[in-house]
Amino acid sequence: MKLEEVNLYDLDTWEQRVPHDMFALLRQQAPVFWQKEPQGGPGFWAVTKYADVVHVSKHPKLFSSWRGGTNIFDLPQEELGQVRMMLVNMDPPQHTKYRRLVSHGFTPRRIAELEPHVRDLARRIIDRVATKGQCDFVTEIAAELPLQVIAELLGIPQEDRHLVFDWSNRLIGFDDPEFQTSMEDGKRAAAEMWAYAHTLAEKRKRDPQNDLISRLLHAEVDGERLTELEFDFFFLLLAVAGNETTRNLISGGMLALFEHPEQKERLLAHPELMPTAVEEMLRWVSPVICFRRTATADTEIRGQRIREGDKVVIFYISANRDEEVFDHADQFDIARSPNDHIAFGIGEHYCLGANLARMEIRVMFEEILSRLPDMELAGPPRRLRSNFISGIKSMPVRFTPERRRVAAGA
Amino acid sequence: MKIRIDYDLCEGNAVCMKVAPEVFVVGEDDRARLVNPNPSEELRAKVELAVKRCPRQALSLVE
Repeated sequence: MKLEEVNLYDLDTWEQRVPHDMFALLRQQAPVFWQKEPQGGPGFWAVTKYADVVHVSKHPKLFSSWRGGTNIFDLPQEELGQVRMMLVNMDPPQHTKYRRLVSHGFTPRRIAELEPHVRDLARRIIDRVATKGQCDFVTEIAAELPLQVIAELLGIPQEDRHLVFDWSNRLIGFDDPEFQTSMEDGKRAAAEMWAYAHTLAEKRKRDPQNDLISRLLHAEVDGERLTELEFDFFFLLLAVAGNETTRNLISGGMLALFEHPEQKERLLAHPELMPTAVEEMLRWVSPVICFRRTATADTEIRGQRIREGDKVVIFYISANRDEEVFDHADQFDIARSPNDHIAFGIGEHYCLGANLARMEIRVMFEEILSRLPDMELAGPPRRLRSNFISGIKSMPVRFTPERRRVAAGA
Repeated sequence: MKIRIDYDLCEGNAVCMKVAPEVFVVGEDDRARLVNPNPSEELRAKVELAVKRCPRQALSLVE
């Protein structure tokens, strides 16, 4: 492959595969690469080395999330104004204040308290498929746990969780015609979600519960309650971010085990390797491909001049395969240590739900591997058409059916 | 060796406490604190690793 052939934007490529060959070439020959955009976009700097992704992440005022948002494509001014109400598109000090409203719900201490309950949910998810001998891994297994957990944390009744699944598919799948037919449909999904959130908010105002909706309704920033619009976007971010990424990590992690049967055997033989296996799946899959920043002043990255207003896109999925940081970076090794991957980002915008995600992933894999150890691929997985989320839409699997348990106990 | 903790960033992920328990502790309030405000030089490598690994990059070595 030659540099002229690199196109990180091309959705046809991402639908087929992760272009690791392009990233390897860029890290070697053009670590800060000017990527042209189709349809009249101005182009962007593609940052692909680990150290540079960390550098950009650690300077949130110089590389702003607020100024142009965090999507590669530029939004019209009015929409940009709206998405700036989401944490991901804020800069400090504003980001610090809003994040604090919810961050203590996601500390290791709080997450550890949730584990027994999450395990119970995971067991029931496996119960529902175990006797069938086959299923779609994505919708019947991977999607379920994060969806059920975020619904519970937010305060959405479980019977409504599939609404969240549908809304977040339509919001995230903006480049995939199967999920979102148009930008209008994405907006419709957001409107439906907000109408739902408002109904729920009215209930919680009358009858507060120990959930994030109740907390957000009473939250104050600088002595002011959240506006309705701020509440709406907070709800949307938590609902979408809390399920889409974890689902894709669980599916992508399982696929990595299918593609590396010797690693799957090793994990089955040594379940104590699960914590490092989870970290390796995170490094390997990197469900969030990239985020965009906008330079707020003239600066340099690795000697490359960056001008104020330039788009800078940091590719976590490439940083996590950087040969300079990871030995045998292109090998999937469930016992890898050290493993300082940045699949959750780093610094100001480090994933708020990282502790929760890690726990959900570990519990889900413990349940899958102990109950359905011979699970295998039964057909080709279908990838999401997106250069933002590295996702799998469906993945048929088969396994020896579990015999129905007699008197399963309480 | 002097260490600074940025409390706008610290969220109690407790990575520092895992890497260098001689220096850091995360309390009930989910905030990192220094058990040892003036750690000896032989702990420098551990402290540097904690600084590097802090997911929120809330730690810095001042001297």
